[in-house]
Amino acid sequence: MMTRLPASPDRFARITFWLVSLLWPALALAHIGQGDISGGFIAGVAHPVFGLDHVVAMVAVGIWGAQLGAPAIWVLPVTFPIVMAFGGVLGGLGVPIPGIEIGIAVSAIVLGAMIGFATRPPLWVAAIVVGIFAIFHGHAHGTELPESANAISYAVGFVAATGSLHALGILIGVANRWSAGAKALRAGGGIIAACGLYFLTGHLISG
Amino acid sequence: MPAQGWMPAIRAGIAVCLLLAAGSTYAHSAARGAADFYAGALHALTALEHVLPFLALGILAGQLGRKAEPLLLVFCLALAAGATAALWAPPLPYVGLFNIFSAILFGGLVAASWSLPMVLCYGIAAVFGLSHGFANGAGMIEQTKPYLFVPGVALAGLAVTAYGLIVTDYLLRRQAGWMHIAAGVAGSWIAAIGILVFATSGAALLKA
Repeated sequence: MMTRLPASPDRFARITFWLVSLLWPALALAHIGQGDISGGFIAGVAHPVFGLDHVVAMVAVGIWGAQLGAPAIWVLPVTFPIVMAFGGVLGGLGVPIPGIEIGIAVSAIVLGAMIGFATRPPLWVAAIVVGIFAIFHGHAHGTELPESANAISYAVGFVAATGSLHALGILIGVANRWSAGAKALRAGGGIIAACGLYFLTGHLISG
Repeated sequence: MPAQGWMPAIRAGIAVCLLLAAGSTYAHSAARGAADFYAGALHALTALEHVLPFLALGILAGQLGRKAEPLLLVFCLALAAGATAALWAPPLPYVGLFNIFSAILFGGLVAASWSLPMVLCYGIAAVFGLSHGFANGAGMIEQTKPYLFVPGVALAGLAVTAYGLIVTDYLLRRQAGWMHIAAGVAGSWIAAIGILVFATSGAALLKA
């Protein structure tokens, strides 16, 4: 891919890295509330985090990725946000997708079942399954994008929150290395599928 | 090794970065007379549509390694040229959209971790440097001193891209496999944000 210089004890770079990382937060925080960065970020973070159906499905994506191992765990966190953004664009532009809430509930059932049965399909199958759900989830978040005070900070919050939920799932998925942990993960997959079923019946009864 | 020749450039970038980090805090007491320099720097630094593409370009340069340091100078000079051009040129209505597109392009390149030919890298750095510089330069008013504002914009761009380059280059040298993934994820987040904002603000412009 790319050649890099051999690791050398570059003291200057190391010191600079720590100095800059110490100073940077002050710069970033100084402007919160001025109107540019605020006015959307919190709403963007809150939207995926406070919808339990989203949380369950996004954590499930991370766990499944960790279970699938090497190529999937690399491909998934990089491609998911971009696919989700396309769904978000459809939502933001008001392109209707029927049965969004049902699709999201079904995503938790399917992903939970994949984890529960420790299914290992070829990478492209997994990518298509996750990609379809990414569009559903993105669409649901994207519908609020144009109403937010600041579209770009809303997008930052929503992408960062979703990515962090994946990271949480991948971290939980580390348990897959031990046999007891792998069993616990599969049980967790069952619980995720049950949550999805609960959300689905809720939508079917009320809808 | 030619890469060593650019060490002073990167050191200058860091120095500016540190200066700005402190400067933003004390801008009102110690920087009288240089206010327009800080106005220029903050104009770029407090707008996510500039900071995110700057960061993505810095990470892209970091993926290419130290040989990409001249890229940041090209970008910085293009920023200055674009900001200066805004003094005379008529306003360009779609420049903001073009700048958001750079978030998609730079972020996407980082996510795919393609090593583009350096000629192409210089080309996109120059083109988008001009457009970002122009958008910032358009923020100048009658009383603004361009000889302070323009360097403020350009050096803010150099600082952010240099920060991205140094951190990425440093982390990728750690030789841990997940560092490459982390860089790709950062690019993918920036590209995703760019796609969302590009589409919605583009649609809003078309409706208007």
